[in-house]
Amino acid sequence: MNLATYSNGIIHVTKSCKACDHCSSVCPTGAIHGRLGQRHRIDPLKCINCGQCLINCPFHAITDTSMVDPVKRALKDPNFKVVVQEAPAVRVALGEEFGLTPGTNVKGKMHAALRKLGFYRVYDTEFAADLTIMEEGTELIHRIFKAGGVPGYENSGPLPQFTSCCPAWIKYAEDNCPAILPNLSTAKSPQQMFGAVAKTYAAQQLGIDPANMIVVSVMPCTAKKYECDRPEFIASGYKDVDYVITTRELAQMIKDAGIDFLNLPDEQADSLIGSSTGAATIFGVTGGVMEAALRTAYEVLSGEKLGKVDFQAVRGLKPVREASVDIPVKTLGKTMKVNVCVVTGTKYVAPVIKDVLAGVSKYHFIEVMNCPGGCINGGGQPIRREMA
Amino acid sequence: MKIYVEKAAFTRRQFFKGAGVLLISAVITGVLSKIGLDALAISDDYVEKRAAGLYQLDESMTIRRSHENPEILRLYQDFLSPGQVSPLSEKSEHLLHTRYGKDIPHLIEEMKKSEAAA
Repeated sequence: MNLATYSNGIIHVTKSCKACDHCSSVCPTGAIHGRLGQRHRIDPLKCINCGQCLINCPFHAITDTSMVDPVKRALKDPNFKVVVQEAPAVRVALGEEFGLTPGTNVKGKMHAALRKLGFYRVYDTEFAADLTIMEEGTELIHRIFKAGGVPGYENSGPLPQFTSCCPAWIKYAEDNCPAILPNLSTAKSPQQMFGAVAKTYAAQQLGIDPANMIVVSVMPCTAKKYECDRPEFIASGYKDVDYVITTRELAQMIKDAGIDFLNLPDEQADSLIGSSTGAATIFGVTGGVMEAALRTAYEVLSGEKLGKVDFQAVRGLKPVREASVDIPVKTLGKTMKVNVCVVTGTKYVAPVIKDVLAGVSKYHFIEVMNCPGGCINGGGQPIRREMA
Repeated sequence: MKIYVEKAAFTRRQFFKGAGVLLISAVITGVLSKIGLDALAISDDYVEKRAAGLYQLDESMTIRRSHENPEILRLYQDFLSPGQVSPLSEKSEHLLHTRYGKDIPHLIEEMKKSEAAA
C-alpha cells in the first residue's frame, strides 16, 4: 500500500552510517540504496519496516521512529486511562537489557514494571493471540469445508490460507504480489484485535469512555508501529492502538524511571482481557502460530482431545519447513491430511507464493513471519550484534 | 647468432614481497571471516535461546490450547456472539477482521458509514 501516510517510513539511516553495505544484505525487499562508501538511504515505499537492518547494523547507525514521548505524556495525564499489552516475544528478551541471558522469562517482572510505570491496566497480547486462533482457525476450517464441497461455506476464501499476524509480511504481499491477497487470512493481527476489543468490550466492562482510553503496545517489532498507524484500524470508532513501543524502548523507560527491574516481584496480568495460554505464548517463535492453530483446529475438527499438544515437526529455525497432520474430520466423516508450511524470512516466500498462484501448491495453511526465527528476532528486540 | 636470455618477470626480492602480501591478505581474510562467522553463530545462539524460553513457558502453562482460555470464552458469550462461543460472528467480522491492498479505502468508507448510522 503506497499511501502517502506511510511514505515517511519507520526505519531511518542516521549520519553514523559507515556505508559498509551490511544492511543491504539483510534487507528482504532490496529497499536500501547506496554504494560502498556512500551514506545509505531507505526507500520508504519498498521498506516493510521490519528493522532487520537496524538490529544487524554493526555501527548502530539505523534508528526507528519513537513513540515513547507521547506514551510518557499520556501516563502523566490524569484524563487518560492508559492500558498496555505486551507481545509474547518481549518476555523472553527484555531481561537481556538488564544483564540476563537470552531466553530468561521475565513475564512477571515485566507486568510489575509496567504497573510501576503507571499503566492503568496491564493486559497481555497473548489474550489477543488466543482470540486470533479462534477467528483465524475457524476461518481455516471454513475454507477447508468449502474446498471439500460442504454446503454453506461458499463465501469462504480460497486455500491455502496464509497467516496475517506479521505486518511486514502483509506489506510485502500488498506491495509485491497483490494476487495472493485473497489467500491471506482476514483475521487482524493480535495487536490490532487487542486494540479493537480494549476500546469496546473492555471499556464497557470497566466503565470507561473509550475516548479517554489510550492503548499502548510493547512489541518486539518495528513494523507494529507502522501497523498501528494504518488508516483502516479504527473498528472501535477510535484509533484501535494508539502507540507502540519496542522491547528496547520499554527497557529504557524502566531504566529512566529508576525501577530496580531485577528485584521486582513477579506479578500477573490483569484479568478481563489479560489471561493467556501456552498456545498464545509460542506466537513469538516461528512455527508457533501454526502449532497453536493446529492444537485448536485438530480438537475442533475431530471432536477429540489431543494427548500431546506439541507439534515438533513445525518447530526449528530452518527458513522453510513443511509437515502433514492427519485429522479425523467429523463433519466430512473421513480423515484428512492437512499439509502445512512455515516460512521464516520473507526472502524465502516468493517460491511458495509462485506455487500457490500457479495452482500447484499442496498446502492448506502457510505461516509467514518476516524475521528469521520469528518475532523473538524482531527489529524491536535487544541488539545482540556488537561488531563495531 | 641470437642468444636466448631468460627474462624473469620479477626479481627474487619482488617475488618474496608479492608472496608475503598474498600470505598476509589470506590470513587477514581468514581472520575476518572467522569473526563474521562467529557473529552469525552468536546470532543463531540468542535466537535459539529465546525460542527455548518461549517453549518452556508454554510447557509451564496450565492451559495450552487457545479455545480453553476462560476469558476468551467469556468475551464470546458476553459480547462477540451473545450466549454462545461462535467465531466469525457479525461483531467479530467488524472488530477482528480486515481487508488488504486496494480493498482498504472501501473498508474505511464502510466503517465510517456504519458509525454515522449508529
